[in-house]
Amino acid sequence: MTHPWPVAITGLGCICAAGTNLDDCMEALYSGRRAPAPSSRFTSDHPIKNPVFEVTGFCEPPELLRTSALGLQAAREAIADAGLDEETLRSLRVGVCVGTTVGSAMNNEQFCRDYRAGLDPDLAPIERILRSNPAAVIARAFELTGPCQTVVNACASGTDAVGLAASWIRGGICDIVIAGGADELGRITYNGFISLMITDDSPCKPFDKNRKGLNLGEGAGMLVLESEEVRARRGKEARSFLLGYGSACDAHHLTAPKPDGEGLRYAIAEALSCSATPTESIAFVNAHGTGTPDNDRVESRVLADLLPGVPFLSTKGYTGHTLGAAGAIEAVFTVACLERGRVPGNAGFSTPDPELGGTPVEGCLEISGTVALSESLAFGGNNSVIILGKRGAV
Amino acid sequence: MRMAVKGIGVTGGFGCGVAALSAALENGISPMEGITVPSAQGPLQLPAFRAPTERLEEFVPKRSLRRIDHYSRMGLLGAYLAIQDAGLLGSDLSRLGVVIASGYGATATTFSFLDSIIGDGDICASPTHFANSVHNSAAANISIMLGAKGPSLTVSQFDMSVPSALMSARQWLAEGRVEAVLFGAIDELSDLIGYLWHRQRGPQRDRPISPLNADEESSVIGEGAAFLLLTREDESGGYCAIDSVETGSLYQGRLALPEDALLVLGADGRKELGARYRDTIQANSRVACYASLYGSMPAAAAFDLACAALVLQNGSAYRIPGAAGCAMDGTAAALETDRIFAVRLAEANEYAKTTLSRL
Repeated sequence: MTHPWPVAITGLGCICAAGTNLDDCMEALYSGRRAPAPSSRFTSDHPIKNPVFEVTGFCEPPELLRTSALGLQAAREAIADAGLDEETLRSLRVGVCVGTTVGSAMNNEQFCRDYRAGLDPDLAPIERILRSNPAAVIARAFELTGPCQTVVNACASGTDAVGLAASWIRGGICDIVIAGGADELGRITYNGFISLMITDDSPCKPFDKNRKGLNLGEGAGMLVLESEEVRARRGKEARSFLLGYGSACDAHHLTAPKPDGEGLRYAIAEALSCSATPTESIAFVNAHGTGTPDNDRVESRVLADLLPGVPFLSTKGYTGHTLGAAGAIEAVFTVACLERGRVPGNAGFSTPDPELGGTPVEGCLEISGTVALSESLAFGGNNSVIILGKRGAV
Repeated sequence: MRMAVKGIGVTGGFGCGVAALSAALENGISPMEGITVPSAQGPLQLPAFRAPTERLEEFVPKRSLRRIDHYSRMGLLGAYLAIQDAGLLGSDLSRLGVVIASGYGATATTFSFLDSIIGDGDICASPTHFANSVHNSAAANISIMLGAKGPSLTVSQFDMSVPSALMSARQWLAEGRVEAVLFGAIDELSDLIGYLWHRQRGPQRDRPISPLNADEESSVIGEGAAFLLLTREDESGGYCAIDSVETGSLYQGRLALPEDALLVLGADGRKELGARYRDTIQANSRVACYASLYGSMPAAAAFDLACAALVLQNGSAYRIPGAAGCAMDGTAAALETDRIFAVRLAEANEYAKTTLSRL
């Protein structure tokens, strides 16, 4: 690896079921508040209505997919947090790198239903998809001139987008990158995950012995990554630093993690190596922790092997599994926890599972370290890990 | 850092493999196939460029392909051909990086999943179709088949998917994350994609694309996969080098392009983009475009790169099918430069330029 230097994070934004901005989200996490419920936005034929984590009080404009509108909202918060105005953004080479799963999929159900029924459906839903590429929407909104990339690495997309964005900064491709992830809830993913039999019909219980699966969620997390040159010129202090990124593929199965967690081990090793972070410096791990039997078993065993004794938690008990947004939302939460010196309890956990490699953080936990690790596992065997350090860590 | 193109694997309207693409470039023609898609007015006959996948059985036992859809099969074939072309078939590929670009992903499987819900109800949603409809399904299948356990990335940026993904592939090599990247682009022509093309573009005519004619719509939809095996430049040669990749949006000013290089344009007969190319490219530029050999699709940008690599390796450009008589007559003369700029423009103000040169 030839890139040992950290990349500054100067702005954060988040919207999910836990709150419509980062402060509200953190307040909900620390107070243990969560409210999964059957969707208010779509119905299903399934006799049992699985709970989901919807963003309430948010309405997307008719010309955009909800995914892109959520991403744009989080980007606006992150940009404001970074103290960047539109004129400054237009004067710099600013890129956008966003992870998603549904944000670029040509899968409007009503259109297909009408087409299948022999009609010539209105093209408006398709045109909405075509102008809603999540990265392009943010770039257009701020007239950004840099590269755009929408990462579709399934549930690792958000983590990968943040890691790739840091590479663009280090490579001199961009002065600033707005990076993160966004995804919306909908019938297609809802029915898809139920068909795979990896959902829980009650509130999800990551790392618990009685876990049955995941609850879906929606939202977006965005980070502003900035070059040292621009940050110094602006006199802007970093909120934190992206210290390392690693990713690897299991090359094992389309939807299940490799039982020995080989890809995740590679990804953690790469992230630690390129950040030159000793394992004893890791204050906590924001785990993927979906609440599915397979994910939590593999993930906890790998953590027990590679980072023994390091506290870990899943925040999906507060947000649901927001798919392509998850890694980005969790990166934002990780930075916020480092800043506050405190991690929330792992919502939904009550009974230890002897098959797992350990038990997650049960209640709010004070932490004194300055570095944390956030990881995502995904369909396709993707494993992605980022290491974040608070301001004093660099 | 310069990347070296060590291997090329392609399947598209021209056939399968480098030899077929070279022959199509020499002859200036690829066979168009008709496809039939349902519509409210009855079955629609559309001209199209389809990609064959039969040769995949040279690399993968037939039984292993039972659950693999056409989208992933195209990707697998492109991947194996590129690996073979680079002389790496049978090598240890465990640290290979995989980067895939796709404008629309596995559309037929996505629609099949929707069909399972619409036809039989939510309870009958197909788990197999759902798992294979995920955008990174081809990357996953390729990694599984090849045993590639390095980083894996799939990018979907519509028309800009290829240059955007290529930029990240280059970064992986520049940062030393991997020694080699299998870079590929895949797009699939499904019934619904064909139908949408017809709805958006009007009746399709069974005639060659006029890629540089901005006055009328002449696009023909295509499908296929184009893969490049990329490494950092070394002493062992290859087709050509990729010097740089730049993508972004222009809100003011002009796209800066050199006068001494051949420009391989992504123009593909779409009227609105033809106008953008006409307004962007100076009239005296030496241009080539080869979409007439594989059709319109976001993945075509990777075919453009494969063509540019062959041009650089062979030392001569190929005439542009369908270019005669157009305002920007770019019938490519003998190549007098050792650099090619692959230029791609998309809606609004997006652009990409990739610089390729001789090794």
